[in-house]
Amino acid sequence: MTEATPGPDTGRRGFVNWLLATSAGAFLVSVLYPVTRYLVPPQVAESSAASVTVPVKAGDVKPNTGQIFKFGNKPAILVRTPAGELKAFSAVCTHLNCTVQFRPDLGHIWCACHNGHFDLNGQNIAGPPPRPLDAFVVNVRGAQVVVSKGA
Amino acid sequence: MRGANLVVALALLALAAASPAWAQPAPPTEGCPACHLETGDERLANPVKAFAADIHRAKGFGCIACHGGDAREAGMEAMDPSKGYIGKPNRQQTVQVCGRCHADARFMKQYNPSLRVDQVAEYATSVHGRRLRELDDPKVAVCSSCHPAHAIKPKSDPASSIHPLRVAETCGRCHADAKYMAEYKIPTDQLEKYRKSVHWKTMSAKGDLSAPTCNSCHGNHGAAPPGVSWVGNVCGQCHTVMGELFAKSVHAKAFAQIGAPGCATCHNNHDIEPASVEMVGLGGPAVCSTCHAADDKGGRAAVEIRRLVDTLRVEQEGARAILERAEHAGMEVSQARFELNGANDALVKTRASVHAFSLEATKKEAEPGLAISAKAYARGVRALDELQFRRKGLGVSLMVILALIAGLVVKIRQLDRRSQAGNAGSNSGGER
Repeated sequence: MTEATPGPDTGRRGFVNWLLATSAGAFLVSVLYPVTRYLVPPQVAESSAASVTVPVKAGDVKPNTGQIFKFGNKPAILVRTPAGELKAFSAVCTHLNCTVQFRPDLGHIWCACHNGHFDLNGQNIAGPPPRPLDAFVVNVRGAQVVVSKGA
Repeated sequence: MRGANLVVALALLALAAASPAWAQPAPPTEGCPACHLETGDERLANPVKAFAADIHRAKGFGCIACHGGDAREAGMEAMDPSKGYIGKPNRQQTVQVCGRCHADARFMKQYNPSLRVDQVAEYATSVHGRRLRELDDPKVAVCSSCHPAHAIKPKSDPASSIHPLRVAETCGRCHADAKYMAEYKIPTDQLEKYRKSVHWKTMSAKGDLSAPTCNSCHGNHGAAPPGVSWVGNVCGQCHTVMGELFAKSVHAKAFAQIGAPGCATCHNNHDIEPASVEMVGLGGPAVCSTCHAADDKGGRAAVEIRRLVDTLRVEQEGARAILERAEHAGMEVSQARFELNGANDALVKTRASVHAFSLEATKKEAEPGLAISAKAYARGVRALDELQFRRKGLGVSLMVILALIAGLVVKIRQLDRRSQAGNAGSNSGGER
């Protein structure tokens, strides 16, 4: 009687075994894949930050001063104009990548390496820099200053 | 009444629309073009045709502004010398004719208030102007040599002969022509050399129109070779930091004494190549060995300065590489990478400091960079050590987990076997 209908029984067992085998395989992959990914370093570095909170309070940046801060791996500069407006730019000089600084005596941004000058819109106004500083967007949330890359 | 007003208004409107003079400035009323175009002689027609695109034509000037004569006469009577007609100005007259307006500040203000009005005064100081005045040299450049008469365009126009991209070509028309220049016994390879220079590449390939061309160093209307003693001042117009360092250096005085042309002594004049640290020292392409030897004070300083710059470059690059490796391996080293930017600043300043020709000055700039690089490198080594520690830790814990899994599998099999043995025992017991 049982020998007359072997099909459905072995079929069901085969299906259950297949399910078990694939789930074991999936389990192994889910364990081993992250381990391998952890051990093998990626080809390129992680993308840099798109937004940072500047580690100074908005009120601490006085008019006609600037503050260098870390934006990913690169320096950026937060400037408060004499009119009280907060502005942020990449602090990497567009000539030879030196770090620029704010010169209260000049009232604008200056690079010490080759005497490059940038105005308070980041425009290169004197010296060798070939193009303006990259501008960032500044948002003030209470005392916090959040600087982000533009859209 | 109201109807009559409307008719008058409409009639005025129609009259205004029909008249082109209402919308455009009046065309020159001179009769010159009529004959010059009709004779069929190209020599007479070409100036008229070319003048259509001339800046002076656009500002409302006509033929008589330069050639004189009477515009009210329709025929040949217009060209009466007694009415001021001079025909084609000779070389001396050209300068006077152009200068009549261009040296008149009050007049020029009406057309281009920011345009300089000292061209004639400057021209008098140029080699061209001096030779014209003193020797009546028929080959030297006058206004129209560089600003082609009848087709003068402002320098902002890319088609202009004095647009920054075309100045070298304009000067080269004479100065690169060995046959034309033969009697002056000066080199004619300036244009060819300039085309190989970093300045021309910056202007032509990078599109930086502020890069220097002939007139940036020689002057334009006052064109003359820079004097040996002021080459440094000329280059220092743009290369301010290097210019200042050089002016204070021992070489400024020494070069002046031996008649060496300042910056050009090491960097050449027309074929200026991109500066590199390889120029410093005594071996290979280094320029210091032109005057210094390994056993003199300057030679020793040159070698030391080169060693410092090279060391900083290698140390900074090493630190950057190790931090990059650590970062790619997933370690957090962004602070160290941020701080390493300071080493780049130091390297740039150190390279510039070479122009002080003083080991002390170079040391002062290099040392902070070396310290930053060493600190960043140490941070990279620590990060990689930590990475190895974490990898080993992961390996050990994986082994423990695998051992545990293996143990569990063995245990389950044992249990299975025991229960099968139990079942077999009870079955065989049942059969008995």
